[in-house]
Amino acid sequence: MAAAEKLLEFQFPATSAHLCTVREKLREVLGSCSPSEELLNCIVLAVGEACMNIIEHAYCDDDAGDIILEIEKQGDNMIFRLTDFAHRKSSKEEMKSRPLEEIRPGGLGCHIINEIMDEVQLIECNSDCGNVLQMKKKLEL
Amino acid sequence: MKSKLSAESNYDVLELSGEIDLHYSPELREMILGSLKDGKSLLINMAEVSYIDSSGIASLVEGFQTAKTAKLSYGLLKISSPALQVLTLTRLDRVFTLYDTAEQFQSHL
Repeated sequence: MAAAEKLLEFQFPATSAHLCTVREKLREVLGSCSPSEELLNCIVLAVGEACMNIIEHAYCDDDAGDIILEIEKQGDNMIFRLTDFAHRKSSKEEMKSRPLEEIRPGGLGCHIINEIMDEVQLIECNSDCGNVLQMKKKLEL
Repeated sequence: MKSKLSAESNYDVLELSGEIDLHYSPELREMILGSLKDGKSLLINMAEVSYIDSSGIASLVEGFQTAKTAKLSYGLLKISSPALQVLTLTRLDRVFTLYDTAEQFQSHL
Protein backbone atom coordinates (compact mmCIF):
# COMPACT_ATOMS: atom_id res chain seq x y z
CA MET A 1 0.00 0.00 0.00
CA ALA A 2 1.34 3.44 -0.96
CA ALA A 3 2.30 5.77 1.87
CA ALA A 4 -0.18 8.56 2.58
CA GLU A 5 0.96 12.03 1.63
CA LYS A 6 -0.57 14.82 3.69
CA LEU A 7 -1.82 17.62 1.43
CA LEU A 8 -3.63 19.80 3.95
CA GLU A 9 -4.30 20.33 7.62
CA PHE A 10 -6.66 23.23 8.20
CA GLN A 11 -8.26 24.18 11.50
CA PHE A 12 -11.24 26.51 11.49
CA PRO A 13 -14.10 27.61 13.76
CA ALA A 14 -17.22 25.47 13.31
CA THR A 15 -19.48 28.18 11.94
CA SER A 16 -21.39 28.52 8.68
CA ALA A 17 -19.36 31.65 7.82
CA HIS A 18 -16.24 29.49 7.41
CA LEU A 19 -17.73 26.96 4.97
CA CYS A 20 -16.78 29.18 2.04
CA THR A 21 -13.09 29.13 3.05
CA VAL A 22 -13.22 25.34 3.43
CA ARG A 23 -14.51 25.03 -0.15
CA GLU A 24 -11.74 27.32 -1.38
CA LYS A 25 -9.09 25.17 0.37
CA LEU A 26 -10.61 21.98 -1.05
CA ARG A 27 -10.67 23.36 -4.60
CA GLU A 28 -7.07 24.50 -4.24
CA VAL A 29 -5.82 21.09 -3.04
CA LEU A 30 -8.01 18.98 -5.33
CA GLY A 31 -7.21 21.15 -8.33
CA SER A 32 -3.58 20.07 -8.11
CA CYS A 33 -4.73 16.42 -8.33
CA SER A 34 -6.60 17.10 -11.61
CA PRO A 35 -9.94 15.34 -11.07
CA SER A 36 -12.77 16.08 -13.50
CA GLU A 37 -14.80 19.23 -12.79
CA GLU A 38 -17.80 17.05 -11.90
CA LEU A 39 -15.85 14.92 -9.43
CA LEU A 40 -14.25 17.98 -7.87
CA ASN A 41 -17.69 19.56 -7.36
CA CYS A 42 -19.01 16.33 -5.81
CA ILE A 43 -16.11 16.01 -3.36
CA VAL A 44 -16.39 19.69 -2.34
CA LEU A 45 -20.11 19.14 -1.77
CA ALA A 46 -19.65 15.97 0.31
CA VAL A 47 -16.96 17.46 2.56
CA GLY A 48 -19.07 20.62 2.93
CA GLU A 49 -22.05 18.48 3.99
CA ALA A 50 -19.91 16.69 6.58
CA CYS A 51 -18.72 20.05 7.99
CA MET A 52 -22.31 21.25 8.10
CA ASN A 53 -23.36 18.12 10.06
CA ILE A 54 -20.68 18.89 12.65
CA ILE A 55 -21.79 22.55 12.91
CA GLU A 56 -25.48 21.69 13.19
CA HIS A 57 -25.51 18.39 15.07
CA ALA A 58 -22.22 17.71 16.88
CA TYR A 59 -21.71 21.27 18.12
CA CYS A 60 -25.20 22.14 19.27
CA ASP A 61 -26.77 24.25 21.99
CA ASP A 62 -23.99 26.26 23.67
CA ASP A 63 -21.19 23.96 22.58
CA ALA A 64 -18.80 25.58 20.10
CA GLY A 65 -15.35 24.80 18.87
CA ASP A 66 -13.10 24.07 15.94
CA ILE A 67 -12.97 21.55 13.14
CA ILE A 68 -9.74 20.18 11.68
CA LEU A 69 -9.82 19.14 8.03
CA GLU A 70 -7.01 16.87 6.91
CA ILE A 71 -6.55 15.76 3.33
CA GLU A 72 -4.23 12.92 2.38
CA LYS A 73 -3.43 11.26 -0.90
CA GLN A 74 -2.74 7.55 -0.85
CA GLY A 75 -2.13 6.20 -4.34
CA ASP A 76 -5.28 7.01 -6.32
CA ASN A 77 -7.32 7.54 -3.16
CA MET A 78 -8.02 10.83 -1.45
CA ILE A 79 -8.67 10.68 2.28
CA PHE A 80 -10.63 13.46 4.00
CA ARG A 81 -10.61 13.45 7.80
CA LEU A 82 -12.71 15.81 9.90
CA THR A 83 -12.01 16.06 13.62
CA ASP A 84 -14.24 17.98 15.99
CA PHE A 85 -14.07 18.54 19.75
CA ALA A 86 -17.79 18.51 20.48
CA HIS A 87 -19.07 17.14 23.78
CA ARG A 88 -21.68 15.17 21.89
CA LYS A 89 -20.58 11.86 20.37
CA SER A 90 -21.98 11.11 16.93
CA SER A 91 -23.28 7.59 16.22
CA LYS A 92 -22.96 5.43 13.11
CA GLU A 93 -26.75 5.36 13.01
CA GLU A 94 -26.81 9.12 12.36
CA MET A 95 -24.61 8.71 9.29
CA LYS A 96 -27.24 6.64 7.45
CA SER A 97 -29.23 8.07 4.55
CA ARG A 98 -32.96 8.67 4.96
CA PRO A 99 -35.52 7.35 2.43
CA LEU A 100 -35.60 9.76 -0.51
CA GLU A 101 -39.27 8.98 -1.19
CA GLU A 102 -40.12 11.27 1.73
CA ILE A 103 -40.22 14.70 0.12
CA ARG A 104 -39.40 16.98 3.03
CA PRO A 105 -36.80 19.63 3.82
CA GLY A 106 -33.62 18.43 5.51
CA GLY A 107 -31.88 15.16 6.20
CA LEU A 108 -30.22 14.86 2.80
CA GLY A 109 -26.65 15.58 3.91
CA CYS A 110 -25.75 12.00 4.88
CA HIS A 111 -27.30 10.66 1.67
CA ILE A 112 -25.11 13.04 -0.37
CA ILE A 113 -21.97 12.05 1.56
CA ASN A 114 -22.67 8.30 1.26
CA GLU A 115 -23.55 8.62 -2.43
CA ILE A 116 -20.37 10.51 -3.36
CA MET A 117 -17.72 8.94 -1.13
CA ASP A 118 -16.45 5.36 -1.52
CA GLU A 119 -16.00 4.89 2.23
CA VAL A 120 -17.43 6.82 5.18
CA GLN A 121 -16.27 5.88 8.63
CA LEU A 122 -16.70 7.29 12.13
CA ILE A 123 -13.40 6.48 13.81
CA GLU A 124 -13.45 5.55 17.47
CA CYS A 125 -11.45 8.04 19.49
CA ASN A 126 -10.39 7.46 23.06
CA SER A 127 -10.90 10.96 24.39
CA ASP A 128 -14.09 11.91 26.23
CA CYS A 129 -15.21 14.36 23.60
CA GLY A 130 -14.86 14.80 19.89
CA ASN A 131 -15.54 12.83 16.73
CA VAL A 132 -13.39 11.81 13.80
CA LEU A 133 -15.09 11.22 10.45
CA GLN A 134 -12.99 9.75 7.67
CA MET A 135 -14.12 9.71 4.04
CA LYS A 136 -12.29 8.08 1.17
CA LYS A 137 -12.69 8.71 -2.55
CA LYS A 138 -10.83 7.18 -5.47
CA LEU A 139 -9.86 9.78 -8.04
CA GLU A 140 -10.91 8.83 -11.55
CA LEU A 141 -8.47 10.87 -13.58
CA MET B 1 -25.15 34.30 -2.61
CA LYS B 2 -26.76 37.22 -4.37
CA SER B 3 -30.46 37.48 -5.02
CA LYS B 4 -32.93 39.72 -6.77
CA LEU B 5 -36.69 39.45 -6.50
CA SER B 6 -38.77 41.02 -9.25
CA ALA B 7 -42.49 41.01 -9.88
CA GLU B 8 -44.16 40.02 -13.14
CA SER B 9 -47.90 40.58 -13.55
CA ASN B 10 -49.00 37.30 -11.99
CA TYR B 11 -45.86 35.74 -10.58
CA ASP B 12 -42.53 36.63 -8.93
CA VAL B 13 -39.06 35.84 -10.28
CA LEU B 14 -36.24 35.19 -7.84
CA GLU B 15 -32.81 35.36 -9.46
CA LEU B 16 -30.07 33.61 -7.51
CA SER B 17 -26.35 33.64 -8.11
CA GLY B 18 -23.16 32.45 -6.41
CA GLU B 19 -22.83 29.90 -3.65
CA ILE B 20 -25.76 28.86 -1.45
CA ASP B 21 -24.74 27.16 1.76
CA LEU B 22 -25.81 26.98 5.40
CA HIS B 23 -24.79 30.62 5.86
CA TYR B 24 -27.25 31.86 3.22
CA SER B 25 -30.00 29.24 3.18
CA PRO B 26 -32.05 30.91 6.01
CA GLU B 27 -32.14 34.10 3.88
CA LEU B 28 -33.17 32.08 0.82
CA ARG B 29 -35.93 30.37 2.83
CA GLU B 30 -37.27 33.74 4.00
CA MET B 31 -37.31 35.14 0.47
CA ILE B 32 -39.09 32.11 -0.99
CA LEU B 33 -41.69 31.83 1.76
CA GLY B 34 -42.17 35.63 1.82
CA SER B 35 -42.96 35.68 -1.88
CA LEU B 36 -45.36 32.72 -1.66
CA LYS B 37 -47.08 34.25 1.38
CA ASP B 38 -48.20 37.10 -0.88
CA GLY B 39 -50.11 34.51 -2.90
CA LYS B 40 -47.97 34.77 -6.03
CA SER B 41 -46.50 31.89 -8.01
CA LEU B 42 -42.72 31.78 -8.01
CA LEU B 43 -40.08 31.08 -10.64
CA ILE B 44 -36.52 30.71 -9.33
CA ASN B 45 -33.77 31.44 -11.84
CA MET B 46 -30.78 29.26 -10.96
CA ALA B 47 -28.62 29.83 -14.04
CA GLU B 48 -25.85 31.53 -12.04
CA VAL B 49 -25.83 29.26 -8.98
CA SER B 50 -22.29 27.88 -8.75
CA TYR B 51 -22.84 25.81 -5.60
CA ILE B 52 -25.78 24.67 -3.50
CA ASP B 53 -25.73 22.31 -0.54
CA SER B 54 -28.47 20.35 1.22
CA SER B 55 -29.45 23.35 3.36
CA GLY B 56 -30.15 25.38 0.22
CA ILE B 57 -32.02 22.44 -1.27
CA ALA B 58 -34.08 22.23 1.94
CA SER B 59 -35.18 25.86 1.41
CA LEU B 60 -36.23 25.02 -2.16
CA VAL B 61 -38.16 21.94 -0.94
CA GLU B 62 -39.96 23.94 1.74
CA GLY B 63 -40.98 26.44 -0.95
CA PHE B 64 -42.19 23.59 -3.16
CA GLN B 65 -44.37 22.20 -0.37
CA THR B 66 -45.73 25.63 0.59
CA ALA B 67 -46.60 26.42 -3.04
CA LYS B 68 -48.30 23.03 -3.45
CA THR B 69 -50.45 23.57 -0.35
CA ALA B 70 -51.38 27.09 -1.52
CA LYS B 71 -52.05 25.79 -5.08
CA LEU B 72 -49.45 28.15 -6.56
CA SER B 73 -47.08 27.38 -9.42
CA TYR B 74 -43.44 26.93 -8.45
CA GLY B 75 -40.56 26.19 -10.76
CA LEU B 76 -36.81 26.29 -11.25
CA LEU B 77 -35.52 28.10 -14.33
CA LYS B 78 -32.32 27.41 -16.29
CA ILE B 79 -30.80 25.33 -13.54
CA SER B 80 -27.00 25.41 -13.56
CA SER B 81 -24.97 22.24 -13.94
CA PRO B 82 -23.62 22.19 -10.31
CA ALA B 83 -27.16 22.71 -8.95
CA LEU B 84 -28.61 20.02 -11.24
CA GLN B 85 -25.89 17.64 -10.04
CA VAL B 86 -27.16 18.03 -6.43
CA LEU B 87 -30.82 17.67 -7.44
CA THR B 88 -29.98 14.50 -9.36
CA LEU B 89 -28.01 13.06 -6.42
CA THR B 90 -31.01 13.61 -4.14
CA ARG B 91 -33.50 12.54 -6.87
CA LEU B 92 -35.29 15.87 -6.51
CA ASP B 93 -34.87 16.52 -10.24
CA ARG B 94 -37.97 14.30 -10.52
CA VAL B 95 -39.89 16.38 -7.98
CA PHE B 96 -39.27 19.99 -9.02
CA THR B 97 -40.54 21.31 -12.32
CA LEU B 98 -37.52 22.52 -14.31
CA TYR B 99 -37.98 25.12 -17.05
CA ASP B 100 -35.67 26.27 -19.83
CA THR B 101 -37.61 29.49 -20.44
CA ALA B 102 -39.92 31.79 -18.47
CA GLU B 103 -42.51 31.37 -21.25
CA GLN B 104 -42.78 27.66 -20.45
CA PHE B 105 -43.54 28.55 -16.82
CA GLN B 106 -46.09 31.19 -17.85
CA SER B 107 -47.94 28.64 -19.95
CA HIS B 108 -48.41 26.50 -16.81
CA LEU B 109 -49.99 29.31 -14.78
